[in-house]
Amino acid sequence: MKKLALLLLLAPLPGFAADEAHTIVQKGRAFHPGEVTINRGESLTFTNNDEFIHQIYSKSDGFNFDSDEKNPGENITETFTASGTFEVHCHIHPKMKLVVHVK
Amino acid sequence: MRLPFRALALYLGLAALASPALADALFDSGKLLATGGVSQVEGAGGGGLASWAMITGYGTRNGIGANLHYTAVPLPDYNLQTAGLAVGLYDRLELSYAWQGFDTQEVGGALGLGRGFVFHQNIFGAKLKILGDAVYDQDSPMPQIAVGLQHKENDRAAVIHAVGGRNSTGTDFYMAASKLFLAESLLVNATLRATKANQFGLLGFGGNKHNDYTVQFEGSAAYLFSRQLAAGVELRTRPSNLSVAHEGEAWDLFAAYFFNKNLSLTAAYADLGNIVIKNGQHGAYLSLQAGF
Amino acid sequence: MKRLVVVTLPLLLAIAAPASSAEDTLYQDMGGQPGIDRIADMSVDNYLADPRIKDIFSESNMERIRAELKDQFCVIADGPCRYTGHDMVATHKGLHLTNANFNALVEDLQAAMDSCNIPFATQNRFLARLAPMQHQVVTR
Repeated sequence: MKKLALLLLLAPLPGFAADEAHTIVQKGRAFHPGEVTINRGESLTFTNNDEFIHQIYSKSDGFNFDSDEKNPGENITETFTASGTFEVHCHIHPKMKLVVHVK
Repeated sequence: MRLPFRALALYLGLAALASPALADALFDSGKLLATGGVSQVEGAGGGGLASWAMITGYGTRNGIGANLHYTAVPLPDYNLQTAGLAVGLYDRLELSYAWQGFDTQEVGGALGLGRGFVFHQNIFGAKLKILGDAVYDQDSPMPQIAVGLQHKENDRAAVIHAVGGRNSTGTDFYMAASKLFLAESLLVNATLRATKANQFGLLGFGGNKHNDYTVQFEGSAAYLFSRQLAAGVELRTRPSNLSVAHEGEAWDLFAAYFFNKNLSLTAAYADLGNIVIKNGQHGAYLSLQAGF
Repeated sequence: MKRLVVVTLPLLLAIAAPASSAEDTLYQDMGGQPGIDRIADMSVDNYLADPRIKDIFSESNMERIRAELKDQFCVIADGPCRYTGHDMVATHKGLHLTNANFNALVEDLQAAMDSCNIPFATQNRFLARLAPMQHQVVTR
């Protein structure tokens, strides 16, 4: 009985409202995590915890953005208003890649 | 599995040397060509006659450089040779050892010492960079400044005393200021040296005329013709402590050619003036430095 | 003897005086924009082929770096450009560069200027303006 109660507590509860903004950390010239799944209308907050200046951009038919450059310690938030799978890059560091699945 | 500490350190050291990322290695040879100077006559990093504020070798502040040198100065009535080793540590401390041999040739005979009588000197040098950077501080009038000493030990104490010299060992202390005026392709150095040395110490230290430290000047000015070739002029004043021999300034006109970071050749016309009973001691100065 | 030294020193200084007239700028002496662009491109080619420093650029946007370098070289040479990049401290801090890295870059730039037939004295006038960047760019 106790085990079942514990399992129920640990399982994700459907219908429960998820956080409005998820955090992506820029560190070591990479996005952490490198892949994320969110719902349409939700936001990602990019935090520059790196020793380098970064920016974010994404280019696809349904959805685009191209941000300002942000210094270490700065944040930027982007709201994903379209569904689909998008790649986010940094124009200063071409090897940085974040895959965002928007449901 | 536990590696013995010493074995681990050795492995890391070898790995660093073997690494293609030479910039991170201890013997990085990272300085720009010619910026360590050459080996001056007493074994310190500098020009021919003058000690400069640069630390010898091509080690940057993260590394170590070292070199060997040999210099021959055949004069009309004497022959001077020097050979030595110098190490530059983290572009901060320079340690040098030089051996000097001064052959009096016929003059030895004339003085009753025996033809080809040779004085030898061991010179132990240390130099510490204290301020500035001659290469990078192009936006400032500030020179690179170093302080140093050269402890000299001559092996002919009896003869030195016979000619009026007080000591067969002595120490010179100096402060050098060097600046590269890169926009003008000009390198300039000025050094003040407190010394009692007679003929660089080859005739001992102090004398019957004068036995206190005096402050002498040595300066160099060189024009950079290319990355590999510098040419210029030097002047060095000396005390005149012995009544038996008047000693004046020495000067030279030199050209230094840097084949690469491992080899340089310096050729000069040097004038050492009067040495004991002979005037007009001027002739060729040839020096080879090999290192990294 | 002393007279010879007294004559040689001003002679050295005369040789050291810039050969170009007061009208010429360093920008012109380096071949204007085409000359500077060529030097910048060849320098970057040299950096990427230099085993001592090529890894420094492994994460970089090389097109962007080439363009910024051209602007920066132009500004440093007193050319009619504006450098719109970030300051040298911010852009190099994360790279933990050493003097050996910096000097390797200088040597590669010298090789590029040699290939573009820039006279040594002119190269040194340009390098004299770059040298103090060591204070901002080298952090290790």
